[in-house]
Amino acid sequence: MEKKAENRREFIQKSARLSLVLALGGVGGFALTKTTKDEWVWQIDPFKCTQCGRCESDCVLAPSAVKCIHAYDLCGYCDLCGGYFKPDANELSTAGENQLCPTAAIERKFIEEPYFEYIINEDLCIGCAKCVEGCTSFGNGSFHLQIMHNICLNCNECSIARVCPSDAISRVKSNEAYKVKGDFTTNT
Amino acid sequence: MSQKGLQRGLIAGLGFIGGIVILWWMSTDPTKGMEVSLPGADNRGKAVAIEENIIIGEHFQKVSENYTRLPEKWERFRGANFDNISTTNTSLLEQFPETGPDIVWSVDLGEGHSGAAIWEGLAYVLDYDEETRADVLKCLSLTDGTELWKRWYNVNIKRNHGMSRTVPAITEEYIVTIGPRCHVMCVDRKDGNFRWGIDVAKDYNSEVPFWYTGQCPLVDGNKAIIATGGDALMIAVDCSSGEVLWEIPNPKGWKMSHSSVMPFEFEGQKMYVYSAIGGLFGVAASEPDEGKLIWETNAWNHSVVAPSPVCMPDGKIFMTAGYGAGSMMVQLMKQNGKFEVQVLDEYTPKEGLACEQQTPVYYKGHLFGVLPKDAGALRNQFVCVHPDDPKKIVWASGKEARFGLGPYFIADGKFYLLSDLAELTIIEPSLDGYMQLEQATIIEGGHDAWAPLATADGYMILRDSKKMVCINMKK
Repeated sequence: MEKKAENRREFIQKSARLSLVLALGGVGGFALTKTTKDEWVWQIDPFKCTQCGRCESDCVLAPSAVKCIHAYDLCGYCDLCGGYFKPDANELSTAGENQLCPTAAIERKFIEEPYFEYIINEDLCIGCAKCVEGCTSFGNGSFHLQIMHNICLNCNECSIARVCPSDAISRVKSNEAYKVKGDFTTNT
Repeated sequence: MSQKGLQRGLIAGLGFIGGIVILWWMSTDPTKGMEVSLPGADNRGKAVAIEENIIIGEHFQKVSENYTRLPEKWERFRGANFDNISTTNTSLLEQFPETGPDIVWSVDLGEGHSGAAIWEGLAYVLDYDEETRADVLKCLSLTDGTELWKRWYNVNIKRNHGMSRTVPAITEEYIVTIGPRCHVMCVDRKDGNFRWGIDVAKDYNSEVPFWYTGQCPLVDGNKAIIATGGDALMIAVDCSSGEVLWEIPNPKGWKMSHSSVMPFEFEGQKMYVYSAIGGLFGVAASEPDEGKLIWETNAWNHSVVAPSPVCMPDGKIFMTAGYGAGSMMVQLMKQNGKFEVQVLDEYTPKEGLACEQQTPVYYKGHLFGVLPKDAGALRNQFVCVHPDDPKKIVWASGKEARFGLGPYFIADGKFYLLSDLAELTIIEPSLDGYMQLEQATIIEGGHDAWAPLATADGYMILRDSKKMVCINMKK
């Protein structure tokens, strides 16, 4: 079948539509870039945090959007882990009575003598900071709290930030949403 | 239906529904879906222990004989009188010159916290050499750091918050060391000739403490005193022959801690005081009961104890430990010819003087120490208390002067305190308040500077986790 030749009017109409789509797409894309780049989210500075426990109790969500995360490059992989065991635990075993975490959110795995690995189960973590306090007091401070942005509602006024006694929570740009300890951050 | 009948029917219906709800409630397991945390979930114990053939003191190398002989000594952990107070007659600096501290020499060491002992111009340190994988006893010239000789034996140590962490004990005749995995070695002080060795963990079935041995050996006269744990509580070894002179049974299975054996004399009785994992005890150090357990208490029992007992002239013994343990003051008494121990006070680190790693210093009738991180508002502050009430802080250094796990001692009437980052602070040891005289960084980029300090003839030896330095502190 012979293809009908495009007339001048149709060509101009098509070109106008295409230009409009491209322009809208460009503006939309630019707006999207601006939105994600300049959006602000709440985050905890782990070097200011004093493990007061209010992240667990004062978040509007239950359980809290604050979770413990683990900087493995800082961890000493100790058998006697101050973040895992209660002080003066009966024995260094995974029995519930020895564990500091109220929800057993930390998995302890034997690697080789004398090293053990500690893995946080984010689903069980309630952000109580008990492990963070133990790790900071007696270890290298590799456990620390962070606000998880896949959970956080990003309230206009963070209810934890209002009560944080050490002003450890502030707004940060969403493209740098986490303040993770370790080699790639510094205590400054 | 009458109104009365309706009421009865309603009550019966509600009762029936209530019964069903109660039955449902009683039959439902609220713990359904919960997992029980049981021992063994970490898969511990699956490793296969490989037995090493360790020949203590196997290798020796002499490098030089040149050194400058000097009169003073710092012969062991906590010095001549076990009080961390130097007996030096040399006047020491209380302020550094404008150019900063005078670093006389520095040497790189294996990662650890082992400190130096000094004997008349020679410095001795038990290092762990990571390349050759060996405990190495090094003899260095105090004035320039030159290595004169070294004696070593191969032993595999994995990095675990450092490896070496003890101070040799030196006498005119001998040097006794304890390595990270409880290998005791005795050599002649003058030439490093090997005398004898004991593999404590193997020979006494004792456990190597977490993060390796922290007990510094004690040499009393011609005897080396070692708290072994395992098959014995404590042993005495003849330094010249290596013969075990006495062993104290350990029926309760108390374990070796990071604490060191402290000699003490009370009510005319010489004794050795040790804080094991399990309890605190005293062993007669003189005839007729030498080598016998003369008192013990399990009131002081914590899983990690690093500081040593602080024994005071009136029979009070102060014990402290980290990891939330806090402190305890006990009173030693002699009644009807027998020693007894009474607990005077026990408290958490937030309530009074407590130390995690270093042993407090008893000076002018007061106790001085740095509080641990879990001590609340006073965390990491240097404090002074009176032994009658160690919960009442006489003074604290303030929130602008916080320290860490580093060592502190007194020399020439001044406190010298090293921070984790190898920053040295000089403090007036006043009972009236914290008076800082000077502060300077000794090792740039220093890290975990926890080894005990040593000083003699104006030279002060300190280290961080990887480097040992000697500074000239002469006035």
